[in-house]
Amino acid sequence: MSTELFFVQLINGLQYGLLLFLIASGLTLVFGVMGILNLAHGSMYMVGAYLVWYFVAVTGSFTVSAILSAVIALGLGILIERVLIQRLYNRNHLDQVLLTIGMIFVFNSLQSILWGNDPYGVAVPDALSGSVPFTDNSSYPVYRIFAAFICIAIAAALYFVVSKTRLGMLIRAGESNREMVEALGVNIKSLYTIVFAIGVMLAAVSGIIAAPMRSIVPGMGESVLITCFVVVVIGGMGSIKGAFVGALLVGVISTFAAVLMPTMSNMIIYIFMILVLLVKPQGLFAK
Amino acid sequence: MNRTKSLASAVLATTLTAGMSLGAHAAAGDPVKIGVMLPFSGIYAQLGEAGRDGLKLALKENAANLHGADIEFIELDTEAKPSRAPELASSLLNQHEADFIIGPVHSGVAMGMIKMLRGKDTVMIIPNAGAAAATGPLCSPNMFRTSFSSWQPSYPMGKVALEKGYKKVYAISWNYGMGRESLDAFEESFTAGGGEIVEKVLLPYPSTNFQSHVSSIADTNPDAVFTFFAGGGAIKFVKDYDAMGLRGKIPLLGSGFLTEGTLKAQGDAAEGVMTGLHYAEQLDVPKNREFREAFNTEYGHYPDIYAVQGYDAGQAIANTIDQLKGDISDKQAVISTMEKLTIDSPRGEFTFSKAHNPIQNVYLREVKDGVNVVQSIAAEALEDPARGCKL
Amino acid sequence: MIFEKRTERIFLAIFFVIALCIPLFLEDNSFFVGKATTILILAVFVMSLDFLVGRVGLVTLGHALFYGLGGYLFVIVTPEYEAVNFWLYALYIMGISAVVALVVGVVVLRTSGIYFIMITLAISQMVYYFFFDSLEFGGNDGLFIFMKPETSIFGLNFLNLDNPTHFYYLSLLAVLVTLLAIKIILRSRFGRIVEASRLNPERTEALGYNIFAFRLISYIIGSTLAAYAGLLFALQYGYVNPQFMTWEMSGTALVMSILGGMGTIYGAILGTITYEGLQYFFEHMSEDWMLFMGGAIILMVLLLRKGLAGYLEKLLEK
Repeated sequence: MSTELFFVQLINGLQYGLLLFLIASGLTLVFGVMGILNLAHGSMYMVGAYLVWYFVAVTGSFTVSAILSAVIALGLGILIERVLIQRLYNRNHLDQVLLTIGMIFVFNSLQSILWGNDPYGVAVPDALSGSVPFTDNSSYPVYRIFAAFICIAIAAALYFVVSKTRLGMLIRAGESNREMVEALGVNIKSLYTIVFAIGVMLAAVSGIIAAPMRSIVPGMGESVLITCFVVVVIGGMGSIKGAFVGALLVGVISTFAAVLMPTMSNMIIYIFMILVLLVKPQGLFAK
Repeated sequence: MNRTKSLASAVLATTLTAGMSLGAHAAAGDPVKIGVMLPFSGIYAQLGEAGRDGLKLALKENAANLHGADIEFIELDTEAKPSRAPELASSLLNQHEADFIIGPVHSGVAMGMIKMLRGKDTVMIIPNAGAAAATGPLCSPNMFRTSFSSWQPSYPMGKVALEKGYKKVYAISWNYGMGRESLDAFEESFTAGGGEIVEKVLLPYPSTNFQSHVSSIADTNPDAVFTFFAGGGAIKFVKDYDAMGLRGKIPLLGSGFLTEGTLKAQGDAAEGVMTGLHYAEQLDVPKNREFREAFNTEYGHYPDIYAVQGYDAGQAIANTIDQLKGDISDKQAVISTMEKLTIDSPRGEFTFSKAHNPIQNVYLREVKDGVNVVQSIAAEALEDPARGCKL
Repeated sequence: MIFEKRTERIFLAIFFVIALCIPLFLEDNSFFVGKATTILILAVFVMSLDFLVGRVGLVTLGHALFYGLGGYLFVIVTPEYEAVNFWLYALYIMGISAVVALVVGVVVLRTSGIYFIMITLAISQMVYYFFFDSLEFGGNDGLFIFMKPETSIFGLNFLNLDNPTHFYYLSLLAVLVTLLAIKIILRSRFGRIVEASRLNPERTEALGYNIFAFRLISYIIGSTLAAYAGLLFALQYGYVNPQFMTWEMSGTALVMSILGGMGTIYGAILGTITYEGLQYFFEHMSEDWMLFMGGAIILMVLLLRKGLAGYLEKLLEK
């Protein structure tokens, strides 16, 4: 492998990893704070992608569609939390698994009913559609660079909110000691609603950002779900920092594995995860 | 409605006690039962729906030629899950006693169906699954295919590549039956003419992580790239290829599914892609124009290859019923009539080979202004070699 | 006695009586007998999962690995066109599966909770990819089993596995044997220690028990039962495909078990029948059956705190 190719693949891997982080961040946030394992997280990613496709087809503007879709996703998150998730706080993890699996069925069916089963694509917004010449033969798409920066920006924002704001402090407190937080007069119910809604919105935003780089097809949520879980587990459930590191590792490793040993590449990520768990059974940055 | 009818028959079956036979096969006057086993949910749903819509359109158009026979459809959703295939096939064969069973899309499901239906008292017509085995080692008199064998669309592309002067080709696809067989078929004709496959990459199915491979292609710098991808994977690959600036620099060739049902989503990224398929939307065949308008009138959108294949399955059934004057009780007669048919298909006329696979033209298409434009006939009346079939 | 709860005894009595009679009433309808057979085989699979998840406390998303393996092992170890002895080969295959479970168990049981879930999922997916990618084992198209085994014991033969009714009774027997086996194990000293290790692992270890060993043995038992179910599933229609070992298959079994009532074992039978029944009903009702299925699952989780079995118990236990 030439040095040039190596660098291209490294950038490919990091960019993929950053997107993975964005997808996984919501999952780990919700689990860390609320202890809820949301298997319908992939469905939220799908919802974001389908929504932005739909609105682009209607309005023609990617920016408007993106914002609209993100807001709808936030509302959807609040709705789901209030109507369904709230009832499960005192139940065991498996009931949550079952409920969220039921939600996957419902969302897949709604996708089919509302938007049909044809595969869709979203064109890269004109402002970002150029590419930067890279090698003799290829050029790197501007949109991918943009997407990478958005992911970094959101990661930074998350870090800022969690470590420097009052909401973040409440989140961290709520993670470790729920009763204490309640005793301090904080409405933990509202906190949970906010956190869950943010988690859903993060998933949807990742679907929105990814939409111009992907095809929008039935089942896209499930295909991203497993990788998401692998990332979160490698990083340590509940740790956003862990999800960041885990995502970058998974992104880079799977990118290089894909070119160096294509047929085995799907196994490599699992092998990597198993190795990490054998050494650190709670993930890299477990709490 | 079909669903109520099948639910009613299910209830009937459970409440009746032993000894109650559900009736002998359709004699003249009984409805002709057509079982449809296609995916109506999940990633292949679009293909399942298209096949079903085409099928029904054909039967509707031919209603006058059925000599009074009523058509009853029984539709079952396979979810493209092989574990459900034998059970669903059994439902159509044993519970509903379907005279014809149309399906599936997915090759794994096809294998499960074949296990159940091979040699049984029904006629199975495959409207999509390209699995070589179905008209290869597992062929059977009561099985037909109105779609393609995985070899057919890709084999002629080797010759096309040679004619265009490409000497070194990079081949890439998914590592499963259809992907491997497509690349093998291309390689067969390409290397026979002196071409060289510089790299053959098989990705795990259904991974769409193409970015690293596109970068790799740019680095290798072959004369051309040959690929098989379909559906969402086809959309993403073509877009990634274009985004990396390779479109126009390194010609992209493929098995036709790369640009079937995906052009709208691919947009400009697909311009100039050349593919081989046994159909093209703008094929200059009168039947094609009629069919496209009729389909659009009935369903509100224009059809693709998957609908054509379902339509031809319907035509095969209708023509058989017509020739037998509405009496399909003799399955041997049904089979021998069907195998001698010439189907007036939107893809051009075709007949069935001994292994019951279509002997059809493969067209070379190039995407221009968002449409697959036919450049030439890449192979005329191409017959799949049906390796291993003893018919 | 091994069936302590009244609800359990009533349900099982009714279930077995109906189950015994089904082929008698539906002899002519091989589809329904076949469908009922598949449900019974699934029930064995789900019961083995319920044992592991509900009683031993090992939430595994890789259980379908053994389900698929049972069928694949049959294809691998038996000659293609020869009718082997079913009982012998079933034991043989269960033995190989037990060894596989031992190796897998030693690796995965070092983790717990969500990590255990993920690692079991990862291992089953890796084996799935292995079979999916392999040309020798049929790849994604799967393989056929051309000759069903014969079932003589010491020269006496009652069953013909090509006969759907006989196959049905064989599967019903499997349900009965699995149920009894699990119940007896749970009532034994071994079973009580295993449950104790689920309820309070630290205490159990403090009492001197090596819970790793107990869990490992339980994991082997549960996986071997799943392999037997998988063997029956493959033999029913003579077809194996890698899709039988995906995490979706494991997940569906988990749904059936939770729906039925986690840990009750008889709930697994109830859950399987209910899930399959609902899907059949919805599929024939509407093309958007998934919407109703998802809705039904959500309603059941919200309303039935302890699954269907729990609900029945609330009604029937004083």
